[in-house]
Amino acid sequence: MAGFDVVKWFGGVADGHLEGSPAFTRNWLMLGYQLQRLKVRYVPDKGISPSFAEAYCLFMDSVVGAQADLAHAAVVSIFTPCEIFHAMGVRPVTAEAIGAIAGGAQAESGLIAHAEGAGIPQTYCSYHKILMGLAESGVLQRPGFLACTSPACDANNLTFRALGQRWGMPHTYIDVPTEVSRDSVAYVADQLREMQTAAEDAFHTRVVPEELQACVLRSDQTDQALLRSLPLRRDRYLANTMTTDMMLMLDTHLCLGTERAEALARHSLADLQAAPTYDGLRLVWAHVMPFYLDALGDHLNVTQEAQVVACDMTFDHLPPEGGGLFSPDEPYEYMAERLVRNCFNGPAERRVTTLRRLADATDADGVVVFCHWGCKQTAGAAQLIRSGLEDAGYPVLVLDGDGVDRENTSVGQTSTRFAAFLELLQSRRAGGAA
Amino acid sequence: MSETPAGHTVFYACKYTPVELLAGFGARCELAEADVSSFDQADSLAHPNLCGYGKGLIERLLAPDVHEVVLVTCCDVVKRAYDVLREQGGLDFCFLLDLPHKRGKAERRLFRTRLARLAEEYAAYSGLSFDVGRALASFQPPLPRTDDRVTLLGAHATRALLSDVGQGLALPVENATCTGPRQLASPPAALARMAPTGTCDSCEDPTDTLGTSRMGGTLDTFLDWYAGALLDQMPCMRMDDVDRRQDLIGARGQQGVIYHTMKFCDYYGFEYAEASANEGVPMVKIETDGTSQSSGQLRTRLAAFGETLRGRRQSQEGDGEKPEAAPDHATTGHATVGRRGPTATYVLGVDSGSTSTDAVIVDGRGGVVSQVILPTGAKATTAAAKAIQEVLDQAGLADSDLSLRVSTGYGRDAIPGMDTSITEITCHARGAHALVPSARTVIDIGGQDSKVIHLSPKGEVLSFVMNDKCAAGTGRFLEMMASTLELPLDEFCRVGLGWKHDVRISSMCTVFAQSEVVSLVADDTPTADIVHGLSESVARKTASLAKRVNAEPPYLMTGGVAQNEGVVAALTSVLGSPVATNPDSQLCGAIGAALLGLESL
Repeated sequence: MAGFDVVKWFGGVADGHLEGSPAFTRNWLMLGYQLQRLKVRYVPDKGISPSFAEAYCLFMDSVVGAQADLAHAAVVSIFTPCEIFHAMGVRPVTAEAIGAIAGGAQAESGLIAHAEGAGIPQTYCSYHKILMGLAESGVLQRPGFLACTSPACDANNLTFRALGQRWGMPHTYIDVPTEVSRDSVAYVADQLREMQTAAEDAFHTRVVPEELQACVLRSDQTDQALLRSLPLRRDRYLANTMTTDMMLMLDTHLCLGTERAEALARHSLADLQAAPTYDGLRLVWAHVMPFYLDALGDHLNVTQEAQVVACDMTFDHLPPEGGGLFSPDEPYEYMAERLVRNCFNGPAERRVTTLRRLADATDADGVVVFCHWGCKQTAGAAQLIRSGLEDAGYPVLVLDGDGVDRENTSVGQTSTRFAAFLELLQSRRAGGAA
Repeated sequence: MSETPAGHTVFYACKYTPVELLAGFGARCELAEADVSSFDQADSLAHPNLCGYGKGLIERLLAPDVHEVVLVTCCDVVKRAYDVLREQGGLDFCFLLDLPHKRGKAERRLFRTRLARLAEEYAAYSGLSFDVGRALASFQPPLPRTDDRVTLLGAHATRALLSDVGQGLALPVENATCTGPRQLASPPAALARMAPTGTCDSCEDPTDTLGTSRMGGTLDTFLDWYAGALLDQMPCMRMDDVDRRQDLIGARGQQGVIYHTMKFCDYYGFEYAEASANEGVPMVKIETDGTSQSSGQLRTRLAAFGETLRGRRQSQEGDGEKPEAAPDHATTGHATVGRRGPTATYVLGVDSGSTSTDAVIVDGRGGVVSQVILPTGAKATTAAAKAIQEVLDQAGLADSDLSLRVSTGYGRDAIPGMDTSITEITCHARGAHALVPSARTVIDIGGQDSKVIHLSPKGEVLSFVMNDKCAAGTGRFLEMMASTLELPLDEFCRVGLGWKHDVRISSMCTVFAQSEVVSLVADDTPTADIVHGLSESVARKTASLAKRVNAEPPYLMTGGVAQNEGVVAALTSVLGSPVATNPDSQLCGAIGAALLGLESL
């Protein structure tokens, strides 16, 4: 959003009407979202690459579109396979996307306070608190469908059940075993089939098998294009920001299986192939990004000083060495395997392995583990990630903060720690602390 | 039946742990009691922002007496605790059992497979054989309780917490927390018939370590039934279908519910939000960090809840038959006190708070005869003795003239010579009703804690809520901020009223807020704006508490922070309704204590 004070004022107005007039807040937020949607399409942020501008547009189109017509949308968790929804023309939207867009409008504070007032624990994930605040206040109305998966975290377990109770509707819960095996994949695939049946009933439509097959093939193509971009991220100027990286991450989950997502991945690859060379610091990022933090953005957003070259939330299911168990020709099993292998599922060792692969592929200078408030998954793994990657020769910064709640991050401390880490990396490059 | 081999103790955390299966191998299973004195290892090996139980588990399971551990993927924190233990590598046997979130046919099949793998790995590690008889003998009969009791629900409770609850309420405590006693269905008779009754050498039926023999694969048959029995327990909150948990509230004999939540364990905060809407069962929420620290505040909550339960029972008795014989002690709706019989009636109320010690003497009509406010300083008992002497001197009375002495506040049980003590919740409610009879909500922000009390039109406590252990939103928080800004407290209370620009400061954490204030000072932000931002932060935090008890106007603010005009103004703005103060509001607790004492005579 353009203009800090304008956005702050905008968020304040949304806050002010939350208790007494949720309908006003809903319409007010939608008005702001629609304006922002036009802004990112016609006046993209300065300096970002065309493909990242497109990533932002796709995010706004999908999230604003879903929230504008929630009765024909599905609220899902971040790793829920969305091809099934796209195949039936239903828009999916995630807690992280709803949280990110409300945070972008600086409306998160009142929503979080509302959720906490309704009894949601303070120590809960802020993205989920925003979603609960929207639901509890009546700003967010009943969607057509609710579905979540057990990864990435316990919050899915709680939020979606509570939303179902609040709106008087069932929720589909996809339980993902931690072990990678044919049994686990078959179990998840069966649950995906059940989710499809429930969604078909909810939306009074049927999935055409060929359409689902086409979606899954597109997912595969999208993933492959993203994968091919990894080595290019080593020495090309990405022209990205923390915001655009978050958008790309959300697009590659929410819109995975659509033509636009596949086009975006190809566009990103083409941009990188044509991009100028880059010699600044290369960082691999673990978990969400605090897009609002200028203290970090000053170092990372469209600069030659440092850039985030890969994030484990975007590359959460790297293909296994030696190949996977199922091909896209078996769509349910293919989607299920992606879930089972997700690096946010199972032991912390999988996060370490994924981050190590990303760091190797991009020749990263260092890794930042962002411990987002309330995420025990990442916080609990932080020191294991640190030791695993440091053993492999990558310096690691464990940074505490909040991906979306401005009030919950110590700006001064974060800024100092991050800047010092960059200095350390520079010094290593210069050979001062090899 | 084989005898239990010595030396195998498996530590576990979750009620879904297959302790009967492990008992079948002769292992003794012990719930890992995680009440440790520090989280140093857990904080450095994992992260401070994990729940106290998870961090306590890491500390406990890294102790040298622990060799065998079976954990369950019950929540994100326990999964990470397992990762840390594996990485440390000091255990002889460490297994993580993946627990499904659902209980259908497919889940039972998967879970059975995983149990079989655990059995296989434990047999290989220990060299022990599975004996179905030993497994069956370890089952506890599933007997539901019907006695008069209080149920402790929610997140794991340490033994110390269970003991505190029992002592605080003087009622038996039923532990129904997530690690509480397991209640599995009784094994079917067919399984019992499979159990060998003794060793018969003539049979010569070789049995391998997994208990699988030509006679019929007892382990397989046991697991066929056992996987479902484990999954069919009263579900914990991490299971997908938790409808059966409604049975935990309102069961026969249950006098009340203590709902325990733990910082960074979100599961039970959700259930409490829903359960607290059930007005049929008295319920109080306590939040801990999983250790037995912060017991002072905990004691206050438990004692106040005990007073509520006793009041409720008396009210129920009052509605029914009254006992014929008068008891030999007078009983108020809130506290039980001894009778004394002086000629003129004077009652002393002493509020021993963390910042100030207040004393009041009321006469037989409830009028305040004398009052004293002193700083508590380093020793609560010394300040109390001084306050009592001063208030007696002011009234021209001697201790022997007092009919009753009632204490309240944090130090209430430590003051010598008192006849009884009552919690500050009940005292503040009574005192507030005396000062402003129309008040329906009391917002009390003291040095150590903040609380919101919702009153009935008659001044009875309908519900109350206190802040958690964290200092955010308390007088101490504001004192620390005043000190950071190098402002005297009285100036700090006023300076924010002249604010010009809205400054937002974290409402979550004192440490973060202090760091933010330092950053704002470095940016040359006007002091008035910073102080206003701090007042707003306290107001938002307090408003959030108020919402939890369905607070309603008229509001009355008491406690030391009531003298901070900036906070009062910010609260008025955030609550959207005037927040009244009273010149005697700091004496509210002491006045309430004296009046409650008087009413008991």
